Amino acid sequence: MPAADQEAFSFQGIGTDWHITTPLPLPPAVRTRVLGRVETFDAGWSRFRADSLVAAMARQPGRYLFPEEAAPLGELYQRLYRLTNGAMTPLIGGSLERLGYDPGYSLRAAGPPLPAPPWESVLTWAGTVLTASAPVVLDIGAAGKGLLVDLLAAELAAAGEGAFVIDAGGDLLAQGAGTVSVGLEHPYNTAQAIGVVDLQDRALCASAANRRAWGDGLHHVLDGTTGQPVRTAVATWALAETAMVADALATALFFVPGELLQETFDFSWLTVFSDGSAAYSAEFEGKLFA
Amino acid sequence: MRPSTPQNPLPPAGAFAVARDAAAAGALLRRGFFAGVAGLSLAGAVAGCAPSTADSTPAETGAPPAGSSALAGSGATYKDGTYSADGNYVSPNGTETVGVQLTLAAGKVSDVKITQHPSNPNTRKFQGQFAGGIAAQVVGKNIDELNVQKVSGSSLTSGGFNQALAKIKAEAQ
Repeated sequence: MPAADQEAFSFQGIGTDWHITTPLPLPPAVRTRVLGRVETFDAGWSRFRADSLVAAMARQPGRYLFPEEAAPLGELYQRLYRLTNGAMTPLIGGSLERLGYDPGYSLRAAGPPLPAPPWESVLTWAGTVLTASAPVVLDIGAAGKGLLVDLLAAELAAAGEGAFVIDAGGDLLAQGAGTVSVGLEHPYNTAQAIGVVDLQDRALCASAANRRAWGDGLHHVLDGTTGQPVRTAVATWALAETAMVADALATALFFVPGELLQETFDFSWLTVFSDGSAAYSAEFEGKLFA
Repeated sequence: MRPSTPQNPLPPAGAFAVARDAAAAGALLRRGFFAGVAGLSLAGAVAGCAPSTADSTPAETGAPPAGSSALAGSGATYKDGTYSADGNYVSPNGTETVGVQLTLAAGKVSDVKITQHPSNPNTRKFQGQFAGGIAAQVVGKNIDELNVQKVSGSSLTSGGFNQALAKIKAEAQ
């Protein structure tokens, strides 16, 4: 897809900027369809809308029928919940609200950090049916953006669009668009990249802790069990068939080594640490600047 | 790969795009087109604030004057002055805060400062050997010197920037 032939359709959705690039401008009907899909998704899953299913479930426990994308999403979350020993959970919404990340954006902590409730104690997620035994604040943020990328890709394909790149705030899906070269944004300097990968017919998603600088004092902190400097993941990337999986795994890399996740998922990964070091799977070999 | 509406460089929600574009500025496919966008100077200022690899100084990093970027294209007017606000975003390591200070002169943004607040790390130990490899130290290269079509990175900071800017806009009206 030569650069000169590209047209971008840009819009805001679920709190991020979207750019869909196609060889020819997307027809108005397709744009309308895409925006409609974004709205439908938001109406189901947004924690910030009083009229969403998620908001209803937070007010009133019970049995809720979610849109069909709930089935693969629930399966993915259940796998990652197990693999991360509960660290990655869709029940984190209450914890986020406690810290001030509430629908009113109070940005003020309402008390001490609140652990998410154990999944098995409050929620049954069977396909598209979610049953809560207590009011729960669902938050699918770790995979939601990627999921919507996949859903929009499906809309585009259904509308006959064979070549496109979807860019959801730096989470990317390229389909039928040839090779797209992608810079991996430096965790501490958005004007720089730490490497370049080629993306073709797959998704590349990133997650970051946005710390200030390499080290950030942490190399003075030693772990007593190893005598080694404490090392924290600060940025992660995941390459996978779907954006939902890539998005979720980019987050999971903060909790679980990529090598372990690779036993369960077919994906490529890169984790950059607070000391400036990086660990990666074979596909990222030779792609980083060093 | 950029919103093609230069008339409205910094709408409330579009502030995100400004920060995002700072990251992607060099990666844009249509650089000539982008250069004509009114929001470019502000985008550059934001990029200028990003701490460099070698910069370990905490708190504020100054930015060069940003020229004349209209704060909004909707006809809204803003009082001159310097405004500060914090925005939060949730990263996998916990909640992080980004501070934004904007100086408005004659309704235009004349200066931008970004403050990245320290936060507590939720440290994780990564053990074992990795299948692909380990780099002792990765280094950055300027994106505008690379021939890339897209940039992949976290949009979390930009989201916090966006929140803070929305507060400033409300305050300045």
